[in-house]
Amino acid sequence: MGISLSLLKRTAVEVETFVQRLDGRVKFLYFIWASILVYIFYDFILNLIFIIVTLLLAIYARVAKPIAMTLLVIIVPWIAIATPILSLPLGFPWNKTIIYYIKFAGYEIPVYLEGLGWGITWPLRIGVCISTAMLFYLTTNQARLVATMFKMKVPFRFIYMLIATFQLIPLLVDEANTIFQAQLSRGLRTDVGIIKKLYYYLALVIPLTLSALNRVQIRAIALESRGFSAPVTKTLMYEAEFKWMDWIFLSTIIVATIVLAYVYITYGYSPIAGLEYIWG
Amino acid sequence: MGEAVVKVENLTYSYPRRENVLVNVSFEVKKGEVLGIIGPNGAGKSTLCKALNGLVPHFYGGRIGGKVVVAGMDTMKHTVAELSTKVGLVFQDPEDQMSGLALTVYEEVAFGLMMLGFPREEIDARVRDAIKKVGLGGLEGRSPFELSGGQMQRLAIATVLAIKPEILVLDEPTAQLDPIGKFEVFSVIKKLAEEGSTIVVVEHEIEELATFADNILLLDEGRVRAYGSAREVLEKVDQLRKYGVDPPSVTELTYILNKEVGTDFEIPITIEEAYKIYAEALGVS
Ligand SMILES: Nc1ncnc2c1ncn2[C@@H]1O[C@H](COP(=O)(O)OP(=O)(O)OP(=O)(O)O)[C@@H](O)[C@H]1O
Ligand SMILES: [Mg+2]
Repeated sequence: MGISLSLLKRTAVEVETFVQRLDGRVKFLYFIWASILVYIFYDFILNLIFIIVTLLLAIYARVAKPIAMTLLVIIVPWIAIATPILSLPLGFPWNKTIIYYIKFAGYEIPVYLEGLGWGITWPLRIGVCISTAMLFYLTTNQARLVATMFKMKVPFRFIYMLIATFQLIPLLVDEANTIFQAQLSRGLRTDVGIIKKLYYYLALVIPLTLSALNRVQIRAIALESRGFSAPVTKTLMYEAEFKWMDWIFLSTIIVATIVLAYVYITYGYSPIAGLEYIWG
Repeated sequence: MGEAVVKVENLTYSYPRRENVLVNVSFEVKKGEVLGIIGPNGAGKSTLCKALNGLVPHFYGGRIGGKVVVAGMDTMKHTVAELSTKVGLVFQDPEDQMSGLALTVYEEVAFGLMMLGFPREEIDARVRDAIKKVGLGGLEGRSPFELSGGQMQRLAIATVLAIKPEILVLDEPTAQLDPIGKFEVFSVIKKLAEEGSTIVVVEHEIEELATFADNILLLDEGRVRAYGSAREVLEKVDQLRKYGVDPPSVTELTYILNKEVGTDFEIPITIEEAYKIYAEALGVS
């Protein structure tokens, strides 16, 4: 219960900086926009810039810690393990440009640019998606966002899908925590084989996942029993108007898009890192 | 006590993946009455509650037979959203009923009314009234997630009361609560019962139930095993036992005395009654 409750509470945040006050739609747009852009460009430095900007916003909004932790857990190991393998001979089918030789036990092992570039760019692209999505999730007040969507006449089904996602996340975090605790209390047994370990793991994960889904369903039922999809005009508590801050943020995104379009036309898809294009 | 607010006739229901969860269930609840539903785990009590506001079958699917009429509406012919204005359903775990879309107790209570499109002034009046009724006055500005279990369950009841349903359905509202929480919630239910609300309540705390239920229905394997006034059902100690339900202890004690010692006491179902009966027998009144 503990964590899920605090996360639910967090999404109804008490801290109010300009990031929290930004309209949910604007932050959602930022997430989609950044994710598409880092996909169009093939440039890990640009990706890094996006991540840094997002982290700065997150630090200001005091939600940087979970975002940084997630990046550390997912992106860093990926770069640390996959990238070296990709940059070695046979590590990556498109390898052709040798940039360095590692001397090892009398051999000279070549390091390839293509594998290295790909191996750094992709995790950072995912990093941009994750960090911008988390910034949206952690700083957006669900109540306000839902009010906005009702006002925009978004179909109930879509609104509900968003709510379910919002609420499934803390439940899953909760579950991960339970699994972690259970594993710990089992004392990370070393006397059992890998099959047995897998078995123990699944014996925990499956029922917990089912119960999380079950709870989401109960919540759906509770919402439904309170007239969530009643076909009437909802009375809304929050005004869904853009404020000047939203317009400024939106303008910044538009200006940045124009600048980046110019950069793309002039310098190509990899303006800073100067990588050569590989599929994807 | 006039017309029937709830009328269930030969209700038979199967979930898509489970047959005959309810079989030939019939009962009715008149305006201002409290019906207690008891029975062992898996008896179908929650399913019956969900049949009262149309979640069964509209949400769950499955096959349904018989008829459920609530506040004059046939649940088969109306949507859950329509029925939600007539039937207020409160679940076991209060946390599951929080919309997660309200920052404060006030907004949580207002949520249902907002979804139903009530005008603001009306919402305000009803919210204040409902919060007062469940004794949460002063906590309007709190986050729902900062409340204790008992407070949260009372909040859940308030969210339903605000809609002014014709009938309140409570599915084990005290099961998840500590003794203080249970006490708080029972106090609210008793008060509502005294004020003349029509209530259907599933409850394992039989001793408490006996103090405010007019009628009791004993459900087991989806079938009605006993149905009648609280006294009629609760004094049949052997029958309750057979279906895994503990009778109130004063009832059981008196029953055993009558049977084993050969006394001839009237069978009490509440402590108060027992006190009267025994005080009289002992000549101290
Ligand atoms: N969604 C569902 N799909 C299939 N079967 C279900 C579903 N929900 C409940 N059941 C089954 O229907 C039967 C009755 O369940 P129900 O929850 O109504 O019992 P209950 O009397 O409320 O039990 P408890 O005291 O445990 O709350 C049980 O056997 C249960 O496994
Ligand atoms: Mg139940």
